[in-house]
Amino acid sequence: MGQIDKAILVRNLSFAYKDTLILSKVNTDIEIGKLSFILGKNGSGKSTFLRIIAGLLPYHAGNVYILGKENSKLSVAERAKIIGFLNQQHKAVFPFTVEEVVLTGRAGYINFLPKEKDRRAAFIALEKVGITHLQKRIYTELSGGEQQLVMIARVLAQEPKILLLDEPTAHLDFINQAHLLTLLKKLTNEGLTIVSVLHDPNLAFLYGDDFLFIKDYQVIRAPNNTSSWSTEFLRTIYQNNIDAIPYNGRALLIPNMN
Amino acid sequence: MNKRILKILIFALPLPVILASMFIGPSQTASPKALYNFIFSNSLSPELLQSVLFGVRLPRILLTFITGGTLAVSGCSIQAIFRNPLTDPYILGLSAGAAFGAALALAFFFIPVQLSAFLFGLLAVGSSYFMARKNKNVSIISLILSGIVVSGIFTALLTIVQYYTDPFKLQSIVHWTMGNLHNANWSKLQSSIVPVTIGITVLFFYRWRLNVLALGDDEARTAGINPDKDKLIILVAATLASSSVVAVAGVIGLYGLIVPHMVRMMFGPDNAQSIPLNFFFGGMFLLIIDNFSRTISGFELPIGAFTMLLGAPFFIFLLKKTNIGWDK
Repeated sequence: MGQIDKAILVRNLSFAYKDTLILSKVNTDIEIGKLSFILGKNGSGKSTFLRIIAGLLPYHAGNVYILGKENSKLSVAERAKIIGFLNQQHKAVFPFTVEEVVLTGRAGYINFLPKEKDRRAAFIALEKVGITHLQKRIYTELSGGEQQLVMIARVLAQEPKILLLDEPTAHLDFINQAHLLTLLKKLTNEGLTIVSVLHDPNLAFLYGDDFLFIKDYQVIRAPNNTSSWSTEFLRTIYQNNIDAIPYNGRALLIPNMN
Repeated sequence: MNKRILKILIFALPLPVILASMFIGPSQTASPKALYNFIFSNSLSPELLQSVLFGVRLPRILLTFITGGTLAVSGCSIQAIFRNPLTDPYILGLSAGAAFGAALALAFFFIPVQLSAFLFGLLAVGSSYFMARKNKNVSIISLILSGIVVSGIFTALLTIVQYYTDPFKLQSIVHWTMGNLHNANWSKLQSSIVPVTIGITVLFFYRWRLNVLALGDDEARTAGINPDKDKLIILVAATLASSSVVAVAGVIGLYGLIVPHMVRMMFGPDNAQSIPLNFFFGGMFLLIIDNFSRTISGFELPIGAFTMLLGAPFFIFLLKKTNIGWDK
């Protein structure tokens, strides 16, 4: 049985795409109410791991418990009430308004037509993200940063307990990246559990509470006192020399290519 | 124009348009003048008037309306589930399949024409869908391409049937493929009404979910609905409804592509609103086109040719305008 005091508990999870092994006997857990980041090299399996937790990839070996319940036994609608998922990039085809897009996050609660309480939940989500002024705008006409905020509002309208994000900063400029991570930090402070794949360890150490690294088919929890000073540890993960440059008592990480 | 007024107009206008259409057509028996005479001077035989109005024109008008509405609603739903503004039942090969099925039945009398058209229409859409499907993913471009291939195969088979059939049967096949609303009668209307009602009702209930599905599979699944199941239900409902109208009304090309776009231009892409609007606007618009095709010249022009000529430039326009997702 899974423990209820963990947001996510993974036991002996293995996963492969056809002949390519991605994860092998992974054991790890994610704490409730924290902002956890998943880091690792390109192609190490970060997105795969996240998509397994999101219920988008069926697994056949091992267990994933979501707040104590086996993930594969949850129905699509049940899972949606616990877990929200934000894809790496979202391409919209039709020019829906922002409120129409956000309202679709309520799908798990709606039989055929949205009700007043769904519209209210959608509006509260817009408020939380701070984009009520975009409500009537056309989603496809917004900037990449604004679209990302709309998709976060959409997931929040779903009222999940755990929020999974796949590289949410990938298409944002560096100010918008900081905006977004500040928002995620704020949401964790309000009680949400957030797990996000992230490329940039600098940002991760600046905002995160907990760090998981994927390497050699394994998910490794960073040792307790890991910080942006831990260049030795990061070198084993990224297999490249990394310099730590002191700045205001922290360290900025820069890959050393010499 | 104010959207709300426009909306009220679309729901309110069909009835007067249907009534007005009753008095448009080649027979002078039921012209507006004849109606005037009938009411005020009683100079006309009521039996004749009745037979023209209720035996000939009304079933045709209702069939035209239902055909237009059904093709529009099916087109709108199919565009939403495939996240593809460039598709409709016609693009998916429904008409080519149905035409072949009809020709087969007209030429060899194995099974009723409508049933055969319906079954082959269903087969064509199913083939397009499964040919385009790769890794549980149906891309915009591969769906259009597989629709072209499936249409091509059934058109080729149709040519073979036409080649081997005698001239009299050939004539009825050609007429069928041109769109044959002029052959409408109560029994044709009756045969299509049950499958159309079932299909349209399902699409009506799923109309808001189309918004969810239009955002993508991952987005739908993680928000709590199963996209595979829902898309299949919607595809079957849309195909059921549209193939049963094509089976009685013939090929009405690209109509299901144009109307959803017109409705979207007027009211935006929210399907919860646009599904009923598509039905009423689609029905009314086809009726107006049909009235033109009945009166523009001394003899009647085939309506399928009309909608195709209208739809083709529109399709090219959309093709130029739509620059999304060709790589996906």
